[in-house]
Amino acid sequence: MTSEPRPPDPVPEDAVQGQVVELPAASRVADVAIDELEMIYAFIYSRVGNRADAEDLTQQVAMKAIPRLRQGAPASAVRGYLFATARSVLGGFWSTRLGLSESELHDDLAMATPQGGYSEKSDERVRRVLEQLSDNYRRVLELRFLHGYSLKEVAVEMRSTVGAVKVMQLRALRAAAKVRLDG
Amino acid sequence: MGERPENRVDRIVNGLLRGRRLKLRGGDAEEKEAIIMAARLAAAKQGQQRMSPAFRQRLVKELGAATPQESWMTRRAALVAGLGIVAGAVGGGLLGRSLDGGGSQPPATAGQVVRPSNGLWVDVGALAEFAPGQARMVKAGAVGAFVTRTGDNVAAVSSICSDLPCELWWDSSQHELVCPCHNRSFTTQGSSIGTYKLPSLDVVQVRVRDGRVEVLGA
Repeated sequence: MTSEPRPPDPVPEDAVQGQVVELPAASRVADVAIDELEMIYAFIYSRVGNRADAEDLTQQVAMKAIPRLRQGAPASAVRGYLFATARSVLGGFWSTRLGLSESELHDDLAMATPQGGYSEKSDERVRRVLEQLSDNYRRVLELRFLHGYSLKEVAVEMRSTVGAVKVMQLRALRAAAKVRLDG
Repeated sequence: MGERPENRVDRIVNGLLRGRRLKLRGGDAEEKEAIIMAARLAAAKQGQQRMSPAFRQRLVKELGAATPQESWMTRRAALVAGLGIVAGAVGGGLLGRSLDGGGSQPPATAGQVVRPSNGLWVDVGALAEFAPGQARMVKAGAVGAFVTRTGDNVAAVSSICSDLPCELWWDSSQHELVCPCHNRSFTTQGSSIGTYKLPSLDVVQVRVRDGRVEVLGA
């Protein structure tokens, strides 16, 4: 179990000794951030797969990160900090729900991270994962997740039984989770 | 009696496919990898998501209330928030995009050649150790680079993203350098791939001497 999620340092502290931080007027950082939060929302959604959790987590990111942002910070800096916070918040989410350690989450949060045009990249990643699976496993996941078939419909399509499809779905998900695309 | 794993996961899959919040129970952690994968697949079905107008509006309202008129920052927050400034300092050592010289230099030009002050040629390995077509990450002091070999020639680009101080990684299956902070890719020559373009990566100076690869570092 991890402790309170904390934003990781994107850079070592000793690399920035002596930086001067400006603190101008209040509204613009929120203006910049709200647009960047669209990307954060899509990133989080692509990890949790549902709107309610994605909204809650995006809100957490916003409330944690934005009051700490430097006024007048460039959009790229705002984005970097928001993504760092999003990774931390998502880590806390999975850690609380499933007891995952940060190291277990490393691949999901660090390697696959933030996206600018997430959907195409995320979809492509899913497609590549599916390509690595055996025909049956790929088929059951495609029918179930990408085409929205019920277990019964998948069973008919694959000439199998509901019970067998359910087991196959579990095994296919386990196999998909083991696919490593980056090396 | 405990829930069978296939039933447990199917319950979660059903919820996800109906767009419901992830409701996990004690014991679901046994299938954590499968559950995380199910969430990703469910998301892929929906494609790219945008905030609903109602949520966006709520967020704007809450942010308005949460943003102090005259905020202060901890040093840590300042450090992190100061990413834009720091890009120069981190890379500065790294990329020659330093803030030195009064800090009045214009922003670094994309794709410029890294010229470290007091640069030194650093041996990063034998040419034979570099597989043709594969980018390999090396460190030459403070300079991080991806070196790619083509025949007996080598070329190198910075290992740091051109937009944020994020270290790239090599996706060998796609033959691309990937920025984890943007999820955007670059070619081994440093050009941004895709419709949403980032500036090109800086070029790192590299040479082959007596069968050894040397990178100009600092």
